Amino acid sequence: MSAAKVKMRQKKLRNQPASVQCLSSSVHDESSPHPNAGVFARARAAEVSAMLRAVTKTTGSCHVFGALPRHMRRRAMSHNTKRLPCRLREMANRMREKCLQGGVKKKEQAKNKSRKARRRHGNMLLEFNRRQRKNVWLETHIWHAKRFHMVKKWGYCLGDRPTLKCYRPSYRAMSTHCLLQDLSYYCCLELQGEEDKLLDCLSQSMYCFSHSTGPTFAQRLCLSGQRQGSLVLYRAGQFPSQPLGSVTFLWRPRTPGSVHRHLWTWVHPTLKQDVLTEFQSVCQCQSVVPPHVPLVMDAKVVSTTDLEPKPERKHTPGTKRKQSEKDAGGPLAKKILGDGTRSPETPVTWKSSSTGILINDLTMEIVRYRLIGPQSHSVLTEALEAATDCDVRAPSCLWWPNHCKEESKMKLHQQQTDLFHTLKGVYSTAELPPGIVLGLTVDDPRLSIPPKRVKALSCVKEVGDEKRKELSLRGVPEHCCESFLWEQSVRNNVTENKISEQDLNRMRSEVLVPGSRLSPVPLQGRVPILLVHQPGKQVGHEMNSWGAGWDLLLPKGWGMAFWIPLVYRDVRIGGLKMSLTHSQNKGVPHFPHDYPDCPAGARFQGEQESELLEKFKRRPPAKRTNYIKHGCLAPFSCPWQQLAEEWDVIGSEGGIQAQSTSLGDIAMRAERTSHHQVPGTKQQTHFTVLRYLVFFMTICYVMFTLVPVALLNFIPIILFPRTRKSLRLLSSWCGPTSSQGQRSYCVREMPPLDHTAKKSFLASHGMSLVWVRLSLLLKGKPDLHAMVSVPTADDLKLLSRGGPGSSAPQEPPHRDHLKSTLKRGKKGTKKVASDTPSTSGQITTTSNDPQLSCPASDVVLGVWPNPLPSVTSHCSRVTLGWVTQADFSLSAGCGEALGFVSVTGLVHTLISQPLEHRGTVLLRNPMSLQYRFAKINIEV
Amino acid sequence: MSEPRNPGMSSLHAVAPVQPSDSPCAVDIDPVEYTLRKRLPRKLPKRRNDVYVNMKTDFRAQLARCQKLLDGGSGHREICVHGLGLAINRAINIALQLQASSQGALQLAANTSTVELVDDLEPEDADEVAEPLTRTRNNSAIHIKVFYPDP
Repeated sequence: MSAAKVKMRQKKLRNQPASVQCLSSSVHDESSPHPNAGVFARARAAEVSAMLRAVTKTTGSCHVFGALPRHMRRRAMSHNTKRLPCRLREMANRMREKCLQGGVKKKEQAKNKSRKARRRHGNMLLEFNRRQRKNVWLETHIWHAKRFHMVKKWGYCLGDRPTLKCYRPSYRAMSTHCLLQDLSYYCCLELQGEEDKLLDCLSQSMYCFSHSTGPTFAQRLCLSGQRQGSLVLYRAGQFPSQPLGSVTFLWRPRTPGSVHRHLWTWVHPTLKQDVLTEFQSVCQCQSVVPPHVPLVMDAKVVSTTDLEPKPERKHTPGTKRKQSEKDAGGPLAKKILGDGTRSPETPVTWKSSSTGILINDLTMEIVRYRLIGPQSHSVLTEALEAATDCDVRAPSCLWWPNHCKEESKMKLHQQQTDLFHTLKGVYSTAELPPGIVLGLTVDDPRLSIPPKRVKALSCVKEVGDEKRKELSLRGVPEHCCESFLWEQSVRNNVTENKISEQDLNRMRSEVLVPGSRLSPVPLQGRVPILLVHQPGKQVGHEMNSWGAGWDLLLPKGWGMAFWIPLVYRDVRIGGLKMSLTHSQNKGVPHFPHDYPDCPAGARFQGEQESELLEKFKRRPPAKRTNYIKHGCLAPFSCPWQQLAEEWDVIGSEGGIQAQSTSLGDIAMRAERTSHHQVPGTKQQTHFTVLRYLVFFMTICYVMFTLVPVALLNFIPIILFPRTRKSLRLLSSWCGPTSSQGQRSYCVREMPPLDHTAKKSFLASHGMSLVWVRLSLLLKGKPDLHAMVSVPTADDLKLLSRGGPGSSAPQEPPHRDHLKSTLKRGKKGTKKVASDTPSTSGQITTTSNDPQLSCPASDVVLGVWPNPLPSVTSHCSRVTLGWVTQADFSLSAGCGEALGFVSVTGLVHTLISQPLEHRGTVLLRNPMSLQYRFAKINIEV
Repeated sequence: MSEPRNPGMSSLHAVAPVQPSDSPCAVDIDPVEYTLRKRLPRKLPKRRNDVYVNMKTDFRAQLARCQKLLDGGSGHREICVHGLGLAINRAINIALQLQASSQGALQLAANTSTVELVDDLEPEDADEVAEPLTRTRNNSAIHIKVFYPDP
């Protein structure tokens, strides 16, 4: 918009003499006390002549009827000059001719290929390949681009949200049927090596895997490859202080008689580089293994080689000469599979000479689809069919016929197939043990696409009752977790030998009965896959197991072949926004949004801030929210560090003060003291977020102390094992962990909250933040970065007097000092400039507030300039923290928000509240003055 | 619970806290070291006239839903009210209320059953050498058929 405006303005001023402005300014600059008459007259004369020149020249638009008053203009004048008055007609004719000529010339210049040519397959492919050089396209990109709002993020083009209005249907799909997402942008890093050495390298920190205790079942579950694990990575040897981010990992099951293991770590693209360098340093993998530059072109199958030359022979010389010429000229465009942005020479493999560990960057090598919802297993069982075996005697270059010859592999396949069939008897995905893994080989799913979209529903059969029970109790036995997807050679073979859509359709058309299934299945149509179960909601007491589902891992190149059959099972498709909603309903922090202590999270916050600020600046100034007047210091990003520090000071102050003083007073006083202290010596302690594992698996060895997945973030400076207990303690102090007045469940006796408990608790977790869920007691929908504040005693009285229906307090409007100072400054400078132009730039000197002395270019009206004042005591209610995810929760039926609050602040608040109102806080949106009562929950 | 909006059947949570002694696993479970996570009970496929009663939803709302199924435009001749654990009482209550408000037109047929439930036990501390366990326990359930007798 603004760019267009600038262009327009430039076009208008194109013919204007530039000297008009220059002259006037040059006169101004001459600041001699006595103006010279001669100079003055000359300057005026030049100005007058420039003006005369400007007046005679036509400006921007060259339309003749610009000379007519508005009421005499007619729409048709531009092409019918007879409608113009006589005096203008001639000029208009001339102009029109010129325009026509110019138009023709322009058209010739910009002649593009015809649409038909552009849409030709080869040209389209070239165009697509050009467009994905900068940002990686997923294999489903074209499908998504037709249906989604696409965003460029993290070096990928990703679907943000569908163009359909389907927020609520998508939620419904997640809770009753199935929602599908393409998560191929997650990066996979593979570590290969001997098990002991891998574990040794990955345990160079406090929480190492101790060999003396021996492998335990907990470790065995993940180590054996039966479960997917998930953890928060820390930098090597830095356990509580430097987190990197959360990852999921998967071990390949052991092959009997070998200690060589594979470990896949799935990381978010923002995190990949950090993790990769960390892995490299920990495993001492510095030597680069040069990648195979010429793509290994596996010997094509006989049938495909037959097919290849066919289309070329079809070219009849007359019709498609152009195209065949082009084909002959350049190399045939090949569809990019995998990462199109990096050159083939970029190293993807690193090897360590000392430990023999191999690191492989498998980014975009494996397609990952996520199915969320209780019916996702039935979608899978309907869409996929276990591979049928084939008996081909002749040696083949395809992988499946070779496998079919080996008895043991066929036996394994049979067992896996049985397990897969047992899945059909399961009613809901949540019945299965969380995180189980199933390897499988399936037929090409394109062969069994239904002619119409059909809804996949589970058909609970009582047949395999014993088997089903076994599956839901024990999970998948270890040997059945093996899949040939782990083998690079098999992956390449499968990718190379995929039957193209065109050939498949041709084969279909040759089937005797139209619409019937192709049989036998073509030899190339067997794909190894991995199915990984994703646990649902595991924290708290409500909505247990909500959002459980399956992840489907495929070799690259097969993305669309599996996508369409899944879509035909009537699943909803979600984008990035839906994954945010998913984690919000699950109550877990979403990476990288809710990891402010990780480098990736901090980067994300910076990006989000600039994005929101840009959006804010795009509004006309008069229509912008004045955040200063709303008393909102940080509408675009949250200063967590400052919050933690301020609460630390308040905490230490509060310990000394008599308990009767209100928190607000303490905050004020603490602010004053801290202001005095700031320039002095204040040790830099970084805030921490307490992370806490909730999942089943616990492998602490993984290098930088892989602290198992954290649903609740509670970062202790001291010992880790105590965090869960302290979290549970905090949770019990917050009152019942349920929203909306549901029944409370108190499982264990907890020490009551008193001053000694508080002191001992805060001694260990003073500078920490804790992840909380806030549910609004009454109406209101929280927004991003809403403030969590402490209610005063009067507010609580208000609450108890009128019940939950009583009105919540309001924040008195703040004064915008910045605006008035700026105004005053502007006025001042004007006045001063008229008197003595030498003393301009008085803004800084007139403003007595040091915060306003920042350069005017940074100042955006309505937003606090950067050194922020005390964030805790800025408003009439003391701020505890901010919200990072907020929405109306369709599952709870009220507004819900997730965010971080300061542990010190929380404990102080809780202790000062009467028992019946424990855990009640106020929530206020950045754009409003109205507080809302909310209940604070810490879910363990 | 015919609306699977709240898959977490809270009636489960009302069951007495962890009873380590009666677990089928041979391992002695120290309640402090493990966290109990209950998996959802296995539900049978639902017809439109199946009502799964829970302890979370308001009693009157559940009663109204049953009433609506019986005399609404859908006009089911019979509905099934299912209750598990603590919700058995409530299921019975609903069925009796329905019968009472119909002035004797409705009849009840109750069946009881035992449902096998699965619990996951997670070790409390990350670095403790403990194993996540899975165990089963049984709970009672009731299935009440509320129907208009054939004329």
